[in-house]
Amino acid sequence: MAALLQILSYGVFSGALYGLVALGLSLVFGVMNYLNVAHGALIMLASYTVLWTCYYLRFDPFLSLILVVPVFFVIGWVLFLGLFQRLLALPETEKLKNSLLISFGILLICSNGATMLWTADERAVATSYTGKVIDLLGVRLPYIGLATVLLAIIVVLGVHLFLTRTYFGKAIRGVSQDYEAASWMGINTRRVCLASFAIGVALAGFPGVVIALQTFNPIVSFDLTNKALIVLILAGVGSLRGVLFGGLLLGVVEAASVFFVGVAYREVVGLLLFVLVLMFRPQGLGGRKA
Amino acid sequence: MLEVKDVDVTYGDIQALWGVSFNVRKGEMVALVGSNGAGKSTVLRTLSGVQKPRKGTITVEGIRSDTVEPHKVVELGVSLVPEGRRLFRDMTILENLELGGYIGRARRVKAEHLEWVFQMFPVLKQRTHQLAGTLSGGEQQMLAIARGLMSDPKLLLVDELSLGLAPIIVKNIYNTLKEINKSRNVTILVVEQNVRLALEVGDRGYVIENGRITMEGSGKELLASEAIKSAYLAVG
Repeated sequence: MAALLQILSYGVFSGALYGLVALGLSLVFGVMNYLNVAHGALIMLASYTVLWTCYYLRFDPFLSLILVVPVFFVIGWVLFLGLFQRLLALPETEKLKNSLLISFGILLICSNGATMLWTADERAVATSYTGKVIDLLGVRLPYIGLATVLLAIIVVLGVHLFLTRTYFGKAIRGVSQDYEAASWMGINTRRVCLASFAIGVALAGFPGVVIALQTFNPIVSFDLTNKALIVLILAGVGSLRGVLFGGLLLGVVEAASVFFVGVAYREVVGLLLFVLVLMFRPQGLGGRKA
Repeated sequence: MLEVKDVDVTYGDIQALWGVSFNVRKGEMVALVGSNGAGKSTVLRTLSGVQKPRKGTITVEGIRSDTVEPHKVVELGVSLVPEGRRLFRDMTILENLELGGYIGRARRVKAEHLEWVFQMFPVLKQRTHQLAGTLSGGEQQMLAIARGLMSDPKLLLVDELSLGLAPIIVKNIYNTLKEINKSRNVTILVVEQNVRLALEVGDRGYVIENGRITMEGSGKELLASEAIKSAYLAVG
């Protein structure tokens, strides 16, 4: 029993991370129908940025967020103006395809570029609390895992409050529901898309910290994008509320599969879940939008 | 206050409007009528700025509106109640109204405007936190008009409000529009397939056929004309 609980707790920790990984991707996809598969690469770059901030400035990894998040906001801003803005005028399906092509290119350039510049060596940020655990009734809960869950809850709640309590957040939701109608309300839809994209990329900073605390290398980009896409489908496209839930579900199912089936099938189970949801509930588990 | 001059609009190779000219004076309620596919909605899309004319000019109180982006058109004081309502279905009534009053000057008078539109459409007031997508067709149309009014427009454009609604509800909504026009001095341009109804409430009317304005006159004159009677009113 304790062993099962132990495995499930790891599922919850990695699930919270998956939720964080998918959040930025889901926001951008929901608002402007761009499938930014470079999101995993941006998280990988955020992890390197966290690594350097901790190394050179002696910051705590979580404190480094005050630097990493604004930097990635600017990166998102520049990427949108340079590459993604021109797709806004295209019909919805063309937006999806073209953004997929562009962002896949960015994914390849970033992961290969990072390998060339910084080698494929495994990196990690070590802190005083790395490896420390709380023992709760025989279940060992690592500090970092607990911090990940807390971070995920804070970030998702923060994004939720921003989208429901501020005029600009409501404008973002308006644009995601009906682009043209939003422009009839006097909303500058281009600016809303620019800001949403920048926020989406800035959100890569949060999973970036968690990844930096584990071991990572440039190739982790692909795995992260893969997880983000699975969570996107589980949550329901454009459903931000479902993202944390989808992430947790994926994490727990993966962990359970390790316990019951064996660690070799961990990745298969996630993809199996992906296919099953697409077959039987294509709008996602939480989504109402077709 | 609205001056449309010699406007051509094309969708790719297909021309939808041919030299369309008309005007709306301050305080008027004007009806633009015509059958399905005549180009009525294209006129409103062009006025709202989402469709750009290939030729011709549109001015609102002397300022060109055809060259600016749609959100700037709203700031000029033009608000569209679109065909099919186009509400933000997954947002509440209150949030829809807040987005209607998104522009700077409307936000400052939000409380006053909310009170006003709730007075016009009391049914909305009882369920401000209900999702717009769950309202009945008539309620949705009322919300769409209320949302259009939240930006404090000088000119309200209303596209095909009778679509899919029971005649009695349509009649009520038109009466409310007339009241808004008279009591708050909001200039209104309605586009309508229901020719008789629109010409009855409109001070003046224009008839559009195959992308061209073919007739104009006061509502009464047009209703009495033989051409209108035989083509649209199925009498005589």
